[in-house]
Amino acid sequence: MKAIRSRSDLLKLLCEAAELEHGIACSYLYAGFSLKRDLSEGGMTWQEQQMVRRWAAQIYFIASQEMLHLALVWNLTTAIGGTPYYLRPNFPQDSKYYPLNARLALEPFGMECLRRFIVYERPSALNAEHELRMLLAVLGEDAADIEFGSIGELYALIESGFKSIPHEELFIGSPAQQMTRDLVHFPDLIAVTDRDTALRAVHTITHQGEGTSRDREDSHFGAFVSILKEFLDSKSHGANFAPARPALVNPYSGLGRGYGASANPIEQPLTQQAAGLFDSAYGLMLRMLAWSFEVENTGIEAIVSKFCRVAIDFMPRVLLPLGEGLMLMPAGERYRGRTAGPGFGLTRHVMLPAAADNARILCQERLQELSQIAVSLLKQSLPDPAKAACVHIQQLANQFRAEKMS
Amino acid sequence: MTQDFDIVVVGSGVAGAITAYRLAQAGARVVILEAGSRNPPRAQMVGAYATAAIKNPHSPYVNAEADKMAPTSDSSPDYYDQPPPPHTQYKSNYERRTGGSTWHWLGHTPRMLRSDFKMKSLYGGGRDFPADMVDWPIDYDDLEPWYCEAERELGVAGDHAQWNNLFNSPRSQPFPMSMIWPSYSDQWIAARLDGKKFEKIEYRVRSTPSARNSQLYDGRPPCAGNSICVPICPIGAKYDGSVHVGKATAAGALLWERCVVNGLTAGKDGSVHAVQFITWGGEQRTVTARLVVLAAHAIETPKLLLMSKLANKSGAVGRYLMDHLSKSTFGLAPENLYPFRGPPSTSGIESFRDGDFRRKQAGFRLSLNNDGWLRKNAPYAEIIDLVMKQKKIGAALQAGLIDRVPRQLRLSCSVEVAPDFNNRVELSTTRDALGIPHPKITFTPPDYSYRGLSRANRVMADMFQRIQATEIDLGTDDKAFDGAGHIMGTCRMGADPKQSVVDEELRCHDHKNLFIVGSSVFPTVGSPNPTLTVAALALRAAKTIAGQLGRRSARARS
Repeated sequence: MKAIRSRSDLLKLLCEAAELEHGIACSYLYAGFSLKRDLSEGGMTWQEQQMVRRWAAQIYFIASQEMLHLALVWNLTTAIGGTPYYLRPNFPQDSKYYPLNARLALEPFGMECLRRFIVYERPSALNAEHELRMLLAVLGEDAADIEFGSIGELYALIESGFKSIPHEELFIGSPAQQMTRDLVHFPDLIAVTDRDTALRAVHTITHQGEGTSRDREDSHFGAFVSILKEFLDSKSHGANFAPARPALVNPYSGLGRGYGASANPIEQPLTQQAAGLFDSAYGLMLRMLAWSFEVENTGIEAIVSKFCRVAIDFMPRVLLPLGEGLMLMPAGERYRGRTAGPGFGLTRHVMLPAAADNARILCQERLQELSQIAVSLLKQSLPDPAKAACVHIQQLANQFRAEKMS
Repeated sequence: MTQDFDIVVVGSGVAGAITAYRLAQAGARVVILEAGSRNPPRAQMVGAYATAAIKNPHSPYVNAEADKMAPTSDSSPDYYDQPPPPHTQYKSNYERRTGGSTWHWLGHTPRMLRSDFKMKSLYGGGRDFPADMVDWPIDYDDLEPWYCEAERELGVAGDHAQWNNLFNSPRSQPFPMSMIWPSYSDQWIAARLDGKKFEKIEYRVRSTPSARNSQLYDGRPPCAGNSICVPICPIGAKYDGSVHVGKATAAGALLWERCVVNGLTAGKDGSVHAVQFITWGGEQRTVTARLVVLAAHAIETPKLLLMSKLANKSGAVGRYLMDHLSKSTFGLAPENLYPFRGPPSTSGIESFRDGDFRRKQAGFRLSLNNDGWLRKNAPYAEIIDLVMKQKKIGAALQAGLIDRVPRQLRLSCSVEVAPDFNNRVELSTTRDALGIPHPKITFTPPDYSYRGLSRANRVMADMFQRIQATEIDLGTDDKAFDGAGHIMGTCRMGADPKQSVVDEELRCHDHKNLFIVGSSVFPTVGSPNPTLTVAALALRAAKTIAGQLGRRSARARS
């Protein structure tokens, strides 16, 4: 493996890592949204429902750790003079898009998505192409086409950059840009100010993802393997077991452009509006977080903290219920009974300006616009989770406007 | 004489299971005798709770045969033979089943403080200091490495910086997992209380260390916020003793369930090798071992010793029964705190656990809770009130609920109970279905503890006022308390065989091959939840026991 020796190369790799962590988190969330909650949705017994709830909890937890990884990558990036990178191509990306050699896609929970998740998180040191192939082979698929570039290898390259570039040259970012858990609610966030903290951040990411040979079962990899085994076992015992909602693969709201031919446009008008609201809320949340990680926070801690709080509140209060709600809404006539889902579409928009007052004005205006869309959606017939999301958007917008930020 | 096993462990709760695991890991031939039943699948127990008409800590575990053959006060309200009210009642319960009472514990794992081990030396001598309060024969530094190991074994989530050096009690290692994130309610309260003072003592809200996964750990999932830690975690994110029962059996220990131990026999040399038990089918059997470990919790362990007339030259068996005095208070916050999300309690206030005031009154912990007024039957009580009294239905009913339920807050305290010679477990003349005596219990909290409870009441009143709560309910009786579920004492540890049952290694003074693990050995209790200390002591004792087994077994195995 070639060592990284220049800042530019390291920043490029960090952008790639940010893009991957971000995309993978969306993919996990989509699978989580797709898991049924209620017995009235059919396809599972009470006992199976308990298992499905546990799977959902684990998948959401893993997605939250991917968000932490994105935050850590942003801290690594600003520590060496870069700016947080939050863009990514819209879904899907084929297996050649990243060196990862696995597709990035939005798919409801099932064999295919678990297979991808295991490939994403596979340990780079697992001498076990053989083991992995055997495991994936239980899916009854030909695993021979899996190539083994991995996220672990990407971080090994990043680590080599932090080790090989002279310390005094590398860390030119302001410590005041570093986000800590006092400002943003990521419990394991590490402020990166030197080589030690940089390496600690990289190790946190790889350890949570792939674990070590001693505690592999407690890594993302281990968790997905365990879910896969349970799923296979359940399928073999209960032929009628169907834990996932019949959601589209790679849906998009129809807003903006930049989707490949393999994405599936949502056609039912109300669902399309709700999916559009999801994308807008998701985009605003990202811009607020990225801004918080970019600015020097000394003297404006209250504002930064507020931006982060609202952005993070958006995840459980808006994105989660709206995402689940979309999974209960029809996708359109031609999809024959399939439901929709959030496309996690990123539309073009400016980075929020460095001037905090202007950033606040932009956010406040956008929140009010989203609030008005939510009000109009609430006049129509929505599933309960989507209704809750719309109410929460209004609350967050009002709260943002009402609170002083100095 | 050939022994069946190297070790018999009586009881498969957290203390017995950890001890059995460590000894089986060391190569000993171990059998665990468990009075209670095998656990059905977790989902089945969760289902039993979900469908139970009356929900209490025992609801998931109701089993007619088990409740008859291995009764406790959890399953049989008349199990404790105690003088009726108005005499003070002992209110804490436990489970007799594989994995023990940790099935329905909350999971909090604060350590004892340095001072908790040396109460008499530090604060004794005055008129108001309890006569039976003593020093432990070990100190905080002796136990500190074992606390670290216990935190790893149980899987404790906590914040090192917040807890390191609390009241001069350092932590040598970080927690194995980062803390369970404080609830919104915790943060809201902290913003209004931190730094404020009550009688010169500063409020400081801390995340409570908990044996509840904040991440994937030990093959178990992270907490998903199901909010029913008590009576059962539906996904196994919260530690319970079944984790170490599984590890013990995987390491080679045998688990014999439905075997109720009803006697121990000592030989002429005083050593105890024979353990008698009766099966649920009524068959009386005996198993022998080189060493015996009692881990049947602080009611059943002394009961068994009293039945066997062993280990009691000191007369201390069954004496010094303790608990923590728990009390819940209620208020309505001026803003929404959004209870009923996440674990029932995620933060607390430790400021009142230690200080010179302990010469005269007990210390206490305070918990900030996330379960609203659940203990006052919320939200059903509100619905009944709104419909029946206020005649509200539809949108008005919904608005009424939304106005109140999200603002409900419960604060609670856990007050140190001082040891008292007269608080005790004896053998009742009442017997269970297998002919084994019920425990006879006498318990009256010392005035020292009542003074602590009174102060805790005043502190909680002050907290409610500072956050501008309304409808504050502190109860009408300053001395009213609930059981904390922390049954402690009854086989106290000490250096003096005339005053105590076990030595600092948890070996009975009177029987060198008989050990006791569990909270029964606590000479004093401080105010923290006891389970982490139980686990630390069990790990420490396991090392001693393995050493005592010594080279003979190593040779035998080679």
